[in-house]
Amino acid sequence: MNSVFSGRKKDTFFLLLFLFSIPLILLIILPLGKMVTGPDLVDLARTIKDPQVISALFRSIYTSLAAVLISFVFGTPLAYLLARKSFKGKKIIEGIIDLPIMIPHPVIGIAILGLAARNTIIGQFLQTMGIQIMGTHTGIIAVLTFVGLPFYINTAKAGFEAVPLRLEHVSRSLGARPWQTFYRVTLPLAWRNMVLGMIMCLARAISEFGAVVIVAYHPMTAPVLIYERFTAYGLKYSQPVAVWLIFVSLFLFVLMRFFAREKTS
Amino acid sequence: MLKVSNFHLNLPEFSLKNINLEIKKGEFFALIGPTGSGKSLLLEAIMGIIPSNSDKNRGKIYLHDRDITSLPPEARGLGIVYQDSALFPHLTALQNITFGLKYHKVNMDKARKQLDFLVQKLGIGHLLDRYPPTLSGGEKQRVALARVLILNPQAILLDEPLSALDPAFQEEIRELLKSLHQELKITFVMVSHNFPEVLYLAGSGAIIHQGKIVQQGKIQHIFHHPNSCFVANFVGIKNVFPARINANKAFTNGVEIKLSPESGRQNHNYLSIRPEEIILLSPDRARDNSVDNVFTGYITGISCQGFYFNVFVDVQGVKFQAIWSQKDMADQGLNQGSKVTIGFRSKAVHTFRDKG
Repeated sequence: MNSVFSGRKKDTFFLLLFLFSIPLILLIILPLGKMVTGPDLVDLARTIKDPQVISALFRSIYTSLAAVLISFVFGTPLAYLLARKSFKGKKIIEGIIDLPIMIPHPVIGIAILGLAARNTIIGQFLQTMGIQIMGTHTGIIAVLTFVGLPFYINTAKAGFEAVPLRLEHVSRSLGARPWQTFYRVTLPLAWRNMVLGMIMCLARAISEFGAVVIVAYHPMTAPVLIYERFTAYGLKYSQPVAVWLIFVSLFLFVLMRFFAREKTS
Repeated sequence: MLKVSNFHLNLPEFSLKNINLEIKKGEFFALIGPTGSGKSLLLEAIMGIIPSNSDKNRGKIYLHDRDITSLPPEARGLGIVYQDSALFPHLTALQNITFGLKYHKVNMDKARKQLDFLVQKLGIGHLLDRYPPTLSGGEKQRVALARVLILNPQAILLDEPLSALDPAFQEEIRELLKSLHQELKITFVMVSHNFPEVLYLAGSGAIIHQGKIVQQGKIQHIFHHPNSCFVANFVGIKNVFPARINANKAFTNGVEIKLSPESGRQNHNYLSIRPEEIILLSPDRARDNSVDNVFTGYITGISCQGFYFNVFVDVQGVKFQAIWSQKDMADQGLNQGSKVTIGFRSKAVHTFRDKG
């Protein structure tokens, strides 16, 4: 790979691109760096031994993973359908999928609570099934799926679209049925994008606050706990929890990327 | 063997209209047409890749008298090879070749023998463990052919199999296809717009234009006896003139051209002569008995095509186009404006009625 600054003649255009990129990189690095280096090691050690923190971190992880799993199971067929078929109303469905990205997240929480209220058919159905939304893990998973799903579907769809249709045609001509073609040709070629979609979905879910705080202030996820400690005790008490959330998220994302790279190399 | 009967396919952007084809067992059939004429679409409709059994579409496709119109591609008993090979990039060459075996309930001993035979025949033994991105164009096409051949399909559809290859690989795969056809008596249906390839490989074929079959028959016949101005121009007959036909003579712009004795020309209104049929006569051969049409004219244009020249000769306002060698041109010292004597056999003159 050529370095931006290599060669006898400096490439002015790429140099400009690099200079314009610096403020953005600093915008991300500086606040996060300050926060990560803010708390001392004693505070960090004390925080991670706090049962409330451990519980909130684990809750964030497994509710987010559950949202990823739901997105994968139900989002994959939809992403494939959107990538491969043209039908009336396709654009509307694509727009609907993108809605959770656009609307304010407290609105999502309010909408889900409204749908599951006792005076609605769905709310009554959920009640007869013994399913509670307000203040439960189910509610948290529901909103996390809501906010994370578009990221998975759009990324997986792009992966399916990148698989040449001709390969699927050839597979069919060789005797494979549509599902066999999907399993043996499309899936192995789109796998990387699907994992990337899951990473993005996980990232969105693990960081979600606005919708979760409406549906379930308790039991607390890590972002809600950070918010609570900030409003109740100030910056000093919220920062170590935030740092641990960053560490755990970073570990998960690196692991998933490594896993994806191993499988596709 | 493979029969397409009154087939109509209506897609939003294109349609195939009243397609009728009959391809015999063991035949090498070419579907020829300009870009966008619908030949690849027809091939994919035969393969079943484009569903053709909706209300908007009509007609039938039969394979050995079995109606396959409504069958999905995996149940048709056909194979397809695309110009870009379409090998599965995540599988090795061997995994590509054996991909379809599990769906065809193939006897593994028989499959192994067939695999050994194909590996040897196609010369791909050293490629089996390699992945497609590391193969050359010719190697990819060999693997793609093996992948189809191992399943013994009743016919193999080839979608411009040579067009994406370098000239050296084109010749290699062309020879391979010829040899496979001769040895294994496989039925091939090939889409192409490359005339040398079609003339070399195919015995019969059809010309498709704007979704319609405009002529079909033996390839040599189509290339020498077009039935319309479109076909004549498409197959490279540069000399196509409106003409008045009277018995064994044709008149075009006042020039009288002798025709071979033949009946049924009463309503023909065009004549065509292939450019390679027009020969350059030296003044002492002007009364050559082998050519019964001899004219004197002037060269109005010379276009160098590498190893040969396209030469335009004006004979009383009729512009003939001939293909002559560098030697022909040099021997007589010909240039633009030179006076030349040209000739062609009456048998080389074809007449037809163009309805357009």
